[in-house]
Amino acid sequence: MGCSDLASEPLRILTAVPLCDGHDSAVMAVNQALILQGYEVVYLGYHRSVQDIVRAAIQEDVVAVGISSYNGGHLEFFREVVELLEVKGRCDIGVFGGGGGTITPADVVLMKSYGVDEIFLAGTSFEFIDERLRELYGGGRDRAECELEIANDDRGLAMVLSSVGSLEIDRKKWVRGSAKVIGFTGPGGAGKSTLIDEWVRGYLADHPVGRVAILTHDPSSMERGGLLADRASMVYAQDDRVFMRSLATRGRQGGFAPSTEVCLRVLASVAAGFDHVLVETVGTGQEALPFENSVIDTKVLVLHPEYGARVQLQKILMMDSADVVVLNKTDWASAARAVEEVAHQISLSNEGEVRLYQTQASEHGNVGVTELRKDLLG
Amino acid sequence: MERDSEFDPAGGDATGISLPRLPLPELDEPGAIARYLCGEGLPGEFPFLSSAYPEMYLDPEDGSKPQEEPTRLFAGLGTAEETNARFHLLTKSQKSHRLSTAFDGPTLYGMDSDADGVFGKIGEGGVAVDTVEDMERLFDGFDLSDPQTSVSMTINGPAPTIMAMYVAAAKRRFGPNVEKVLRGTVQADILKEVQGQNEVLFPVASSLRFLLDMMEYSVSHFPKWYPISISGYHISQAGATPVQQAAYTLSNGFSYADMMREQGVAVDVFAPRLSFFFDCGVDVEFIALSRVCRKIWAIGMREVFGGDNRSQLLKMHTQTSGRSLVSAEFKNNLTRTALEMMMAYMNATNSCHSNSADEPFTTPSEEYVKLASHGQSILLEESGLFRHMMNGLSGSPGMKAVERAVESEILKEFAEIERLGGVLGAMEHRYQRSQIQAASYRYEQQILSGERRVIGLNRYADSNDAELPSVVRVTDAVKLKQLERVRAFKMKNKEAAAEALDGLSQVVENGGNVFAQLVETVEVCSLGQITERLQRDVGIFRPMI
Repeated sequence: MGCSDLASEPLRILTAVPLCDGHDSAVMAVNQALILQGYEVVYLGYHRSVQDIVRAAIQEDVVAVGISSYNGGHLEFFREVVELLEVKGRCDIGVFGGGGGTITPADVVLMKSYGVDEIFLAGTSFEFIDERLRELYGGGRDRAECELEIANDDRGLAMVLSSVGSLEIDRKKWVRGSAKVIGFTGPGGAGKSTLIDEWVRGYLADHPVGRVAILTHDPSSMERGGLLADRASMVYAQDDRVFMRSLATRGRQGGFAPSTEVCLRVLASVAAGFDHVLVETVGTGQEALPFENSVIDTKVLVLHPEYGARVQLQKILMMDSADVVVLNKTDWASAARAVEEVAHQISLSNEGEVRLYQTQASEHGNVGVTELRKDLLG
Repeated sequence: MERDSEFDPAGGDATGISLPRLPLPELDEPGAIARYLCGEGLPGEFPFLSSAYPEMYLDPEDGSKPQEEPTRLFAGLGTAEETNARFHLLTKSQKSHRLSTAFDGPTLYGMDSDADGVFGKIGEGGVAVDTVEDMERLFDGFDLSDPQTSVSMTINGPAPTIMAMYVAAAKRRFGPNVEKVLRGTVQADILKEVQGQNEVLFPVASSLRFLLDMMEYSVSHFPKWYPISISGYHISQAGATPVQQAAYTLSNGFSYADMMREQGVAVDVFAPRLSFFFDCGVDVEFIALSRVCRKIWAIGMREVFGGDNRSQLLKMHTQTSGRSLVSAEFKNNLTRTALEMMMAYMNATNSCHSNSADEPFTTPSEEYVKLASHGQSILLEESGLFRHMMNGLSGSPGMKAVERAVESEILKEFAEIERLGGVLGAMEHRYQRSQIQAASYRYEQQILSGERRVIGLNRYADSNDAELPSVVRVTDAVKLKQLERVRAFKMKNKEAAAEALDGLSQVVENGGNVFAQLVETVEVCSLGQITERLQRDVGIFRPMI
């Protein structure tokens, strides 16, 4: 298919726990086991609707969806996932699952009859799950060759993003649109995902039309499998007006993936038609300079108060190249001092060009996030 | 210590031997006596290692039958009527009515039965409660003003709304004064939800505000009610080790105490209204885990909070471990549960729920519910183990070794939580979650490798044993009935609901007591309507992985 070699690429699957079910210890254990076997697992989290699961599966262009169900209703839920994937034109995406003893052997027969590929019951070894998934989904996909054309929906866009891989694209075909591309970087634990999600919440509430794309990054473990779990906590970004894609760094240093630049060009194109494209790096160290990328219009550095010690700040090279610095988690006791330190550092290194915002992204409707959003949209 | 000389003439049933109601170690050196009294204490005395009360399960001295059986059986299935029928079945021969309620998935997540995508889950694993009318039906035929009736509701995220429905339903039936005599508890432990069980509706700060409003209201209006059940059970079920269960649960408890104190409620007003809920599994730590918890709590409440004797008491409900049960050769679960019950009573639990052997694959059937219930009666009433003598194994070298080891590990966890900024700070760092997840992963690996032995599953497994009894499922007709009922309620109250929800939003906005308002709101609004409105006002919880 397309131009990338599937055999050498990790299998990408989506895992989730159904609506009104919070039993996530089994799915987390399976996620962990699969990552060690080299899978890229996009984890959507628990208490997720059929719509959220199918939307994510299509946008992430995974080979299969794995659902872990523990408190009943699985007969209906799995069927709805299979049916909605078909309605949305992606019946090639497999559906498998597992759960506690509430799923009986008779249920398994019934679920397979309506299109579920496999159900792993309690006591199944991780080795068996891995083997079976490779057998089911490891042989490439049974779907039409995907052209480097954009179909006018998320499905086509998602397949294009899979196909471009790390290759250069035809720039004439992907003419840059009016989308504003905003990059968020910063150390792990600074609250970048929450900040973006709160940004999206405010955007969707204030703008009755328009769409946003989000490109997030997570590190690959041992340069292979990876847990891509940003969706699990970004609840407001699970919306039909948001296109979200999760990338694993696949061995690339510096906060991005090999295909980031190309993906951004596609997402920022006229054809894709987004108003804003938000890109989040993995949690970076002090030395990282992820935004050499020319596609990014505004570079935002997100810090939390514990990073406020002056001696550490001097080492953060991003301070020099950021357009905006956000000090998040202002509810922490150390915030007041950190604000002073960051402001001082900015004044030393940037001749006052850098804008500083204070946010508490975990607070609903936080004033600082609203101000930041207005600045970035302006 | 002269109680040592009190002998029970009825002692041993078989031979008529005489046993002391309270056997004590033979100590004559003053230092050893002091160490015993300070480190362990007599039953019902600080630091309450042995038990919260001096008598616990002993037969009354006058030979009369004990008043109240401390069995509490969990029920919840289908609609309110069906669960109500189960309650009547469970309690028909009991003088006291202890009604413990499980709710279905949609209710646990604050959703109505007519919400998109929940149909398959209506009434599964618990009862569907959408409105105050469902709550009335649920307890129909029970006198909620009777001191012998106590109700326990296992719900957390939407606990304030569900509790408001309970109060409103009780008032409808028994008049406004009933609130002074309402007995029972609502779980409402939002910290453990964030750490392990994941039923959280609102951001942590708002969830805590709604909870504290309810607790504050409860201690002043419902003096007999326990407005929170600080729960290790779900932390343990999510995969925590016994020590993690104890450490996170106790630290959560101290956190709530701290928050109530900050609200300006005096320690001796709120502390006696706190209660705990622990899991008891088959691991050796459980022979002493709850004993140590009682001791640590007592010391903390006395030394840090300055609480009086009643405030120092950790009162606990114990449930046998659902996680220890397996589908494979499921009748072995009877033995597992019996063993766990035995350890729970050795730890002097104040009440106990024993799981049904068929739980791994179905909502418990009547047959196994009855076996679980009778198991407790056999242990407490038929057997002589707990009827004649308190504290049978206290002070044994093995027990003391476990106590010391467990206590020291719990204190290490406390130190780590403190280092991360206390319970809330540690939560923000995902500390408790990641520790629990790692333990869960280890546990599963141990079962798969056979290192953790599970008879009938990875040891002495018999591949022919595949027959499981039938599964209890809720029919579509029952689900439809519930769905239509909540629709009709919302239709009937359409205009009043809009006004009531705006009133609720105003209280949220102006900082008033949200729970006091909810008691009014539930008269005309469904659970789902209230959840949606509150989420609009304060936001949706962003899950942690």
